[in-house]
Amino acid sequence: MRTLFLSLLLCPLATLAQAPVIEISGANFRPLPIAVPLPQALNDGARPVASEFDDAFFFDCSAAGIFQVLDRKSYLADSREGFTASTITFSRWADVGAEALVKVQLSVDGRDLRGEMRLFTVSSGKEELRLVHVVPLDQPRKLAHFFADALYKQFTREPGPFQSHLAYVRRVGKGKDVYLGDWDGKRAIPIAQGSINLLPVVAPQGDAVAFTSYRSGKPALYVQRAGSAAVPLVTNGAMVTGASFSPDGRRIAYSMAQGEGAQLFVADASGGNPQPLTDTPYFINSSPTWSPDGKRIAFVSNRAGTPQLYVLTAGNPKDVRRLTFQGNYNQTPDWSPRGDLIAFTARDERNAFDLFTVNVESGKVTRLTQDQGNNQEPSFSPNGRLIVFSSNRTSGNMLWVMTAEGQNQKMLPLEKGDYSTPDWGP
Amino acid sequence: MTAVASAGPVSLLARRHEATLVKFLFWSAVVHAALFSLAMVYAKLHEEAPIDLDQKPIKATLVRQGTPRDEKLLPRIEQAPPPPMEQKAPEPAPTPAPPKTVAPAPVAAPAPPKTKQAGEKKADSRQQLFGAFDKMSKSKPDTTGAADGDPSGDSAVAEGEAYYAQLRAQITRFYDVSDTIPDSERIRLTAQVAVVISPAGQLERARLAKSSGNDLFDSAVMTAVKRAAPFAPPPTHLRDPLSKYGVVLQFRP
Repeated sequence: MRTLFLSLLLCPLATLAQAPVIEISGANFRPLPIAVPLPQALNDGARPVASEFDDAFFFDCSAAGIFQVLDRKSYLADSREGFTASTITFSRWADVGAEALVKVQLSVDGRDLRGEMRLFTVSSGKEELRLVHVVPLDQPRKLAHFFADALYKQFTREPGPFQSHLAYVRRVGKGKDVYLGDWDGKRAIPIAQGSINLLPVVAPQGDAVAFTSYRSGKPALYVQRAGSAAVPLVTNGAMVTGASFSPDGRRIAYSMAQGEGAQLFVADASGGNPQPLTDTPYFINSSPTWSPDGKRIAFVSNRAGTPQLYVLTAGNPKDVRRLTFQGNYNQTPDWSPRGDLIAFTARDERNAFDLFTVNVESGKVTRLTQDQGNNQEPSFSPNGRLIVFSSNRTSGNMLWVMTAEGQNQKMLPLEKGDYSTPDWGP
Repeated sequence: MTAVASAGPVSLLARRHEATLVKFLFWSAVVHAALFSLAMVYAKLHEEAPIDLDQKPIKATLVRQGTPRDEKLLPRIEQAPPPPMEQKAPEPAPTPAPPKTVAPAPVAAPAPPKTKQAGEKKADSRQQLFGAFDKMSKSKPDTTGAADGDPSGDSAVAEGEAYYAQLRAQITRFYDVSDTIPDSERIRLTAQVAVVISPAGQLERARLAKSSGNDLFDSAVMTAVKRAAPFAPPPTHLRDPLSKYGVVLQFRP
């Protein structure tokens, strides 16, 4: 009897031992197919704001680079379908190719807009995330960015980039104005109007913008909070341009014309105590950008004949290294908050401006855009996963976003105009 | 004793059958000579080309088409090669149309359609031929051998491994994993799927034997297995073990 029992016990082990194991690797990583049906408005008050919420939320999900948001035309969302795992027919979502499903309900409570988001895995029908958030009724976009960030974090365990801010320049008549908006350029408030204002940078707190302005006749640096007056930052030099905040927000680097050339300086965030960083009297040094640890600064210099990218150590400015050796017109560097890459604009042999990244350690240059008009002025998202840039591929100069690898290029939902020099800040 | 002695006088050296021996030796010599001379003649007739040790060897080197890009220039994104010229099925359809429009043309009008039709027929048969080839190549599943496999692949063991390599290749084609899985997690993801394959190559059962702990990855590997099925029928010696005990697929990103 015992033998029989033992043999019965060992039988499954024997079968297990007999099955050979095949190792399979080399997965094709691709964006997650996700269905984002229209949000459900629970009461009449929520209906007018639902479409604005949806515009922002759908665009965030589409631009995130990690999702393949299913075209709504590819499925008929049943408006009567429930909001909980038990009332959703997941097989229907699986049939249209969705692997994840996001549902949002909106309701208005007095002067507040209440949103509830639920995320489901389609294959298992499991609810992965449930989130409730309340915003003022007039800010449905804020709610959308909040949910999009939560969704991004749920999958990547990294902070999402959608509650951050974008500063950019828009040509208005003969002048150029600086705006500060949500990451997608919407809800923008004018920062500097009239005159010519250029090269905005969002301060590390995300509440102020530094920019170069010709308001006094010659270019000088100013900083301005939304709703308050511009404060002069550096106005004493002949021509001061391109401020860049250090990651801790305590210092700024900028370029100042001196004689025939232009030199880099670093100063306190208020513009005091300037110290020179470069000393090449006959050459131009410009467009500084800080490394995320604040120890190095990348910049453009023509000291070798053509504009190329260089890196210097902030503590020891004599320690300068040339970074790019390909192309003969490399400019507007932006150091990734992840530290590994610097994105820049380069003019290639066809005289087209395109975007590239260079690996700071290996010097490997990778092309991000090609054969799509001129693409310029890249700026990394605060999490380093996306890049916003200006492009004239369609009519006019518009702002676009793509992943740091150059994939999933999408135009920001701004009204038609002439936009330039976006800066994606916190 | 005497009896034995009387039987003894027969010696091997005794000169008996002398004439037979001489005859045998003679014919043997003749046959040998004939064979030898035949071989000589054959060798003369089928003389092979002499090996010329001074001949220069033929050198072959693999070259990349086009000139390499100047290192001083900025890189370009490698475009995928243009898709192969498709043998369009509707192509023969438009060809009969021209005769109609050409029809009002004078004398030559009746002749061209004939040649065109002949051409069409040729094209049709060619297409059929290529179609057959296509079908053959399609019905043949990807036979990517293991890197350490037996090149001749004729032994029973080697055939089994080739089949597993085929399984692996087929599943890998559908092995799509979500980009949303963070890099830190990708390193330690492992999932096992136990599958049972019928003698006809159908997927009988697929069960997640060991979860990776990440639902997205688990569902991705299960989807890969299900979408890759049906497989090619296993070789004879594997049919029994595969339909009884199955095989374990261990997935890593």
